[in-house]
Amino acid sequence: MTQTIVIARYNPEQDEKPHHEAYQVQSDDNTSVLDALQQVQQQDPGLSFRWSCRMAICGSCGVMVNGVPKLGCQTFLRDYPAGLVITPLSNFAVEKDLIVNMEPFLEHLSAIKPWLINTAEGTQPHVQTPKQLAKYQQFANCINCGLCYSACPQFGLNPEFRGPAALALAHRYNLDSRDQGKAQRMPELNAKNGVWTCTFVGFCSEVCPKKVDPAAAINQGKVESAKDMIVSVLKPSGAR
Amino acid sequence: MNNGTKQPKRSDEPIWWALFSAGGVCFAVVIPGSLLSLAVLYPLGLISAEMLSYERVHHMVFEAFFGLGGLAFVGAAICLPLFHAVHRIHHGLHDLQWAHGPVAKVICYGAAILLSAIALGLWFF
Repeated sequence: MTQTIVIARYNPEQDEKPHHEAYQVQSDDNTSVLDALQQVQQQDPGLSFRWSCRMAICGSCGVMVNGVPKLGCQTFLRDYPAGLVITPLSNFAVEKDLIVNMEPFLEHLSAIKPWLINTAEGTQPHVQTPKQLAKYQQFANCINCGLCYSACPQFGLNPEFRGPAALALAHRYNLDSRDQGKAQRMPELNAKNGVWTCTFVGFCSEVCPKKVDPAAAINQGKVESAKDMIVSVLKPSGAR
Repeated sequence: MNNGTKQPKRSDEPIWWALFSAGGVCFAVVIPGSLLSLAVLYPLGLISAEMLSYERVHHMVFEAFFGLGGLAFVGAAICLPLFHAVHRIHHGLHDLQWAHGPVAKVICYGAAILLSAIALGLWFF
C-alpha cells in the first residue's frame, strides 16, 4: 500500500530554516522507517540521513518519529496508520536534513573515560564470576545511538550536562570488578553537570532501544556520589 | 575534550538530595499515617479521646525517651517534608525556566530552613 510520510528537510546552503516535505512510499508490514527513507532517497537523492547496520546494533539511524526518538531500522510504518513525521534528533544541532552534529555527545562520552582502567601488569586474564558480571551487564548494552540525549529535557536545557548514556557507561565501568578507574571518574559524576543535573524524568530509559535504563544508572550514581561526598568530608586529607 | 587535568567542582546537591529523599519517605509514610489517625480516625471516634488526651500527648512528645519522640515527629512530619517540597519547587522552577541560579536556591532552601527552625523552636520552648 501507499503511505505518506513527512520528512524535515534542511540544506544549510539553500534554506534559511528547516521545512517539512511529504513523500509517498510503498509499505507493507515489514517496511521500517529506514526502508521508507531509502525509498524517498530513490526519488530525491539529495535526502541525507545516517544508517549502517539495519539491525539496531550500530546506533546510526536515530531520528524523531512523531516527536519520539527512535531507531529508523527498529521502527515500522505499520505502527503509524495515521501517518508519521520524521525529524532530526532533538537537542542536537542539525547539519543537513536528518543528520545532526553528535560531537557534543562524543565529548561527554570521552569525559567519563568509558573504558577499563586497570594498571595490573601480567598476561593472566581478569577472571569474573557471573555475579560480578550481572552487576554491570545491563548497563553495558549501550550502542551510543544518542536517543536518550534527545529524550532528556535536562540535556535540552543544559547542553553541558554529561547526559544519560555517558553517565550510564561511567556507572557500568565503576561497577566492573576488573576496573580501577572509579576514583578518576567520580569527579565528573560529582559535578553539577554530572549525575546531579538529572531530575529522574526517566524518558531516556523509555526510549532506549537496548533497555539499558540510564535513569536507574544515574540514580545509582547519585547514591555513589553522595557516599563519595561523605567519604571526602571524613577523610582528613580531603583529597577528593 | 577532557584530558583529565582539570577536575570539575563538586556539587553541593547531595546534601539537598539526601534531605529530599528522607523527606520523600516521610511524605509517603509519616504524613499519611498522621493524617489517617489525627484527621480521619480520631474525628470518626475510631480512636478514643483518651488516646490523644493532653496528658498522654504531652508525655509522648516532651517526656518519653528524653523528649526525643516530639523531636522525631517534628522532624519527620514537618522539617524533612519541607525540604522535600522545596527541592521539587526549586527543580520545577528550573524546568519551567522561571528561575534558576543561587537566588532561587537560597529562597527555596532558606524557606525550608526557616520554617524548620520555627517548628523545632515551638517544640523546644
